[in-house]
Amino acid sequence: MSVAAQAAHLPQLTAFLEQFWSSASLPPGGCPAFALALEELFANVVMHGSAGGALQQVEVSLALTPEGVTMTIEDDGPGFDPLSLPPPDLTASLAERPVGGLGVFLVRKMMDTVSYARVAGRNQVRMSKRLARAAGAEFA
Amino acid sequence: MNLQIEADGATTYLVPVGRIDFDAAPAFQQAVERVLSGAGQTPPTTVIIDGAKLEYVSSAGLRAVLLLARAAQRAHIAFALCALQAPVREVFNLSGFSQIMAIHSDRETARSQSQPPRT
Repeated sequence: MSVAAQAAHLPQLTAFLEQFWSSASLPPGGCPAFALALEELFANVVMHGSAGGALQQVEVSLALTPEGVTMTIEDDGPGFDPLSLPPPDLTASLAERPVGGLGVFLVRKMMDTVSYARVAGRNQVRMSKRLARAAGAEFA
Repeated sequence: MNLQIEADGATTYLVPVGRIDFDAAPAFQQAVERVLSGAGQTPPTTVIIDGAKLEYVSSAGLRAVLLLARAAQRAHIAFALCALQAPVREVFNLSGFSQIMAIHSDRETARSQSQPPRT
């Protein structure tokens, strides 16, 4: 699914994910991690990607693997590796805790693998997570 | 996201319904800031976010909660969360917020253990 990098399009992407999840009969407990990763990376493109330039397109694809699910998020914006962001300081007190930087950190924590590549002029973030196989689920 | 507001004496319970994502976070933050300010009346001494109907929170929601916890501290209002569902609880745990905020199992525990900050 491809949408313009505008905040208003997040519900479409989330619905796309949920539809994929239910049509593949995947265990519901695994979906929130992908919903969060989808939002965090999409929000990054919306907030940082389009500065001054034309509105970017963001393309999301989902695939079943023998072990779980792989999600790929691509955009045609300027080259930027979100995985290069420094991890947040999780030990700072309430008053000193930085308000940003948690999104990509959460994605790394919730996924088994996350990788970035610049492919044919596009940013490509690919992530995967193993899922406990539910009875009757088809991973075909 | 809808926000249900239930006043019980000097304690106000806030029940966000649905998702606090990057679309909903600013409205959530503004609504809670109004409660913290008293909205023209006497502000509560304790504000408890009841997560029983909160299905999802992202880093944008965490950011809002962090700013609200600080605002409550500045206003000497006790601030706590309770009854977080498993996916939301996981996000709070992974982000380290469980160490810097009071998170309780239910309303009664949250209320009995919440004391307004003195500083």
